[in-house]
Amino acid sequence: MNRRELIQKALGVGAAALAVSQLRGEIVASQYNGPAGGSRGSQLVTILTGPLDTSGQANGVAPLAPVPQYATYVRIQAHPGQQGKIAIGGAAMASTSGNAADSAFLELWPNWDASFDNGRSDTWILSDPKWLNTIDLSQIYVYPEIAGETPIVTAFQLV
Amino acid sequence: MTVLTPSVASGPFTVSGAPAPIASSSTLVNQLSVKPRLGQWSKILVGGPNLGTDESNAMAILYPVPNGGQADSFVIQDQGGQNTIDLSQIYVYATIPGDSPMVEAFGYQTV
Repeated sequence: MNRRELIQKALGVGAAALAVSQLRGEIVASQYNGPAGGSRGSQLVTILTGPLDTSGQANGVAPLAPVPQYATYVRIQAHPGQQGKIAIGGAAMASTSGNAADSAFLELWPNWDASFDNGRSDTWILSDPKWLNTIDLSQIYVYPEIAGETPIVTAFQLV
Repeated sequence: MTVLTPSVASGPFTVSGAPAPIASSSTLVNQLSVKPRLGQWSKILVGGPNLGTDESNAMAILYPVPNGGQADSFVIQDQGGQNTIDLSQIYVYATIPGDSPMVEAFGYQTV
């Protein structure tokens, strides 16, 4: 790796780190962050990882990102060992007054003690087939049936 | 910009006594998934307009998931990145009337 490539690599890592910090709630801007929808960069970076805590949100329903952020791949997994279903839906789920899962388009089954399916937990994956950044994380909402439970969320972006 | 957006046809899809199309008029999307509603006991049949309640012409037969773990689902996506799947041509049937399999559909929109 020559010096130019090394600098480019370092810049790429920096951009990824910046994107992650932005998604952790440090953003106040009202417009999208990161690449625009429909774009396609050359480096795959992780912009969202780990257990997602929705307990601070109204009704326990939270979007994956507070402002528009376009990803090429998103994966949500029921947290192994936890016991509640995970509902996934669109913006309609945010304003629902009854059972949020009735406004969802998908539910994930828990696998609390690894006694089913060889321990595999239910997982939802959405990816753009052309690896374009077209999935708006702010329009995907998550609702754990049991308050405080934390589905595992991963999102990738091509920058 | 182009965005992959949840279709208005997404959500619990209540099926009465006969196979029903997911959309009443032509609705093109990029991805479709059908999954039994967790906690319900119907087998879910997915097919085209000729889907029979006796499972004839079924594209997929989905089992309910009583205990946990990975749930059965039918997923189809246009790998060319186009909206080519017409929801009005996809029929769903639940063996217990009133059950509501979960339908998830995403289509490209320009915003």
